[in-house]
Parts: sequence; C-alpha cells; structure tokens
Amino acid sequence: MKFTHMKKRLFLLPFRWLTTGLRHWPLLSALLLTAAVGYLYYRFRQGGEITLSVQTENPIQITPQQIRSIEDIGEWEFLAVSTEEMVDTVRKRFLSADRLTRIYTGTMRLGLNMKEVRPGWLTTQGDTVNVQLPAIRLLDKNFIDEARTRSFYEKGYWNGKAKEQMYHKARQAMLRRGLTRNNLQQAEQNARAQIENLFRSLGFHTVNITFIP
Amino acid sequence: MKPARISAYISLYALLLTAAAGMNYGCSQPDAPQQTNVTDTTSWILQVNRTSKLYTTEYRIHKIVTHDDIVRIKGSFLNKKFNLRMPIGDRKTALPMDVTLKAYIDFSGFGERHIHRQGEKIQILLPDPRVTVTSSKIDHEQVKQYIDITRTRYTDAELTDFARQGVQSILQTLPDIGILEDARRSAARLLIPLLRNLGYKEENIIISFRKDFTTEDIPQLLSPESSRTL
Repeated sequence: MKFTHMKKRLFLLPFRWLTTGLRHWPLLSALLLTAAVGYLYYRFRQGGEITLSVQTENPIQITPQQIRSIEDIGEWEFLAVSTEEMVDTVRKRFLSADRLTRIYTGTMRLGLNMKEVRPGWLTTQGDTVNVQLPAIRLLDKNFIDEARTRSFYEKGYWNGKAKEQMYHKARQAMLRRGLTRNNLQQAEQNARAQIENLFRSLGFHTVNITFIP
Repeated sequence: MKPARISAYISLYALLLTAAAGMNYGCSQPDAPQQTNVTDTTSWILQVNRTSKLYTTEYRIHKIVTHDDIVRIKGSFLNKKFNLRMPIGDRKTALPMDVTLKAYIDFSGFGERHIHRQGEKIQILLPDPRVTVTSSKIDHEQVKQYIDITRTRYTDAELTDFARQGVQSILQTLPDIGILEDARRSAARLLIPLLRNLGYKEENIIISFRKDFTTEDIPQLLSPESSRTL
C-alpha cells in the first residue's frame, strides 16, 4: 500500500513542478530570458557578431554581344551640342493618374561627312588650295544615349510602346532646340578655322573653303 | 439614424470603393488599351563645344541584357555565416539594346609640330585614337519580363540601370573587338587620298601614331563621357 502511494507521488512529481512553474511563469520566463541574453552577450564579447540582410541580385548576367556592323566612316565633327530632355507623360484614370518622367541625355554632333565630297573637291595652285566641302549637317540620326537616361518618377504600369513614344518625343525636342541655324553657322565657322589651320600646317598660305549645299 | 440605414450607407460606400479599386486595377493591366497620354517636354542645353574630331570607324553592337532577380537572406550569427535563397518567387527580364561606338581622332590640338616634311616625303604623327558611345537604344517593345505573382514588376529605374550596365560590359570587352586597330587603318585610308590630292605620292606618305596601343591602353582611350559610364 505504502509502495503504491510512493509510485503515485513520483509519477505526479513532474506535473507538480509543471503546475508550480506555471503558477510562477513570470519568474521562470525572466530567468530563462536572462540566461539567454547572458549567453548571447558572452558569445558576442568573444567576437561573434550578428548580421542579417535581405539582398537582391543587382548585377546583370554576363551575356554575349553581337557586332551587327563595322563601317569605315569619315565624319568630321565641328560642334557638339550636349543636351538633356525631361519628358513627362501622364495618363488620367478614374480616381488618379499614372505618371512617368524620364530625363534623356544626348549629344548632337554637327559636322561634315567626308564620304559626301565630290570628285575634284581639293585642288592646288602653287601655295593656294581650294577646298569644296559638303554642307554641315547632323552626323548621327540616333544621338540619344538611352543607357544614361534617368527615370525620375514612375507611377503605374508603362508598356514598351509608351516608352518608345517618349524616346521619340525627347529626340524631336532635342532636335528643335539643338539643330538651330545659329549652331549650324557656328559649326561652319569652326570647320573653316580648323580646316584652314590644317592646310596651313601642310604649307599652304591661301586656303579657299566653300560649302556646297 | 436607424442602424439598418447606417449599415446600408456603409455597404454602399464599400461597394463604391471596391468598384473604383477594380477600375483602377483594370486600367493598370498590361493588356488594357492605352488611354490618351499627355506628354510634356523640358530641355536643357548643357554644353555647346567647338570640336574637331574625325570619326573614322563605327561599330554597331546588339546585346541582350538579362537579369535574374533572386532574393537571398544573408548574414552571420555567432560566427556562423548563412546565405539562403528565399522561396518568394522568380523575377527575370531580358532587355535587347543597340549601342553605337565610334572611334575618332581629335584634331583640335593638331598643328605644324605633328607634320614633318622632307623633300617629297611627308610624315604625319596623328593624335591618339579615342572611342566613344554615340548612341544607345533600348528596344522597349521587345523587353520581356517573367514575374511570379509574389514579386513586383521591374521599375523603369531598374531597367535603365541594367541598360547602363550593358553598355559598361560592352566597353569592358573593347580590347577583344580591335576597334583601335580599325580606327588607325581607317584614318590612314581617309588621309592618304587627301595627301595624294595635294601632290604627294603614296609611297612618300607615312601616317603614324604615338605608339602601338595595347589592350591595357583602352581605358585611357575612352572619351571622357564614356569613361564616366565605366
């Protein structure tokens, strides 16, 4: 009888501890927390550090490139007009509006294409040289460096067609402001000065330059 | 006001809000027809420079820039490093772009000191050739994005950053494509006929450069604006 009673008491002992522990749970939790903090502090002092960061892969993957064409050209640039164009497009919706603002960068290069010179464009008479050159023009049809574009503000979804339209608007606006009569005249003046300097260096005293439209 | 009426008003208000949200969502879908956009442009002329650059070679390069966006949780805990891929879905993009590179010789400082004449012979020492990016263009209509439902679309800023990295990687491979050698040959092909017109025989014309450029010289031979991209 006594033995059975002892067995029963032993069996119930863990439950008693548990109920006692649960009764004093704030004290137990505080003890456990202090022990955990103490352990971490001890490991930290020994040189362990805790860092945590969520990272996304930012670099692009290495892919091959294809050379579409290699061409010998003879474009002589005499004026470079570097410009930026902010294009802001808004699409109105029921309660709000989508907006995309991009800043494009481009350099318009004004000069002459030496491949357009006519036969007999260069003639000499003693120390005089006569040079007939094609008219100054924009050397590159595509002059925007889109990789240098800055996306300033974006709200909503904008598809490729919308971005393509923005690119063309930026190009048109840059042409309006950069390809002016004044800039073409400046390029022509500089072309005269530079070409004259080149032929003088080659030993000619008189250099006659004409631009054929 | 009776509770039944109040709840009716609340229900109506909630219904209106849901409808408005639905309309907004519908408009932002990729396949939804585009409404009329109002576009405004503002220009700044940054610089007008008088130059004298003879562009001799043009390279047109096509590249498809790809990006695979994997989210990782990285860190260290008590000297134990961990790097785990988070299972929150994939996000990939492929961005086709065209880049035009041109090699040029800057004649702005060119003068008598670069020309040596001796009787019928003429030797021209040309300035160092340089390479510049004259244009880059993303083919926006062919840009592909593969996005899982748990991820957001690539922003325009992210896509332009990838394009910039694409140009950067093209510039880094310049030593392999031999653009400087082409530039030198092309410059000679342009100048020899000019000198022949001035009365010099082809065998008496020597066009030379300061040195033979190697792949190590390429970073120095990039134009200032292209160097900034690197």
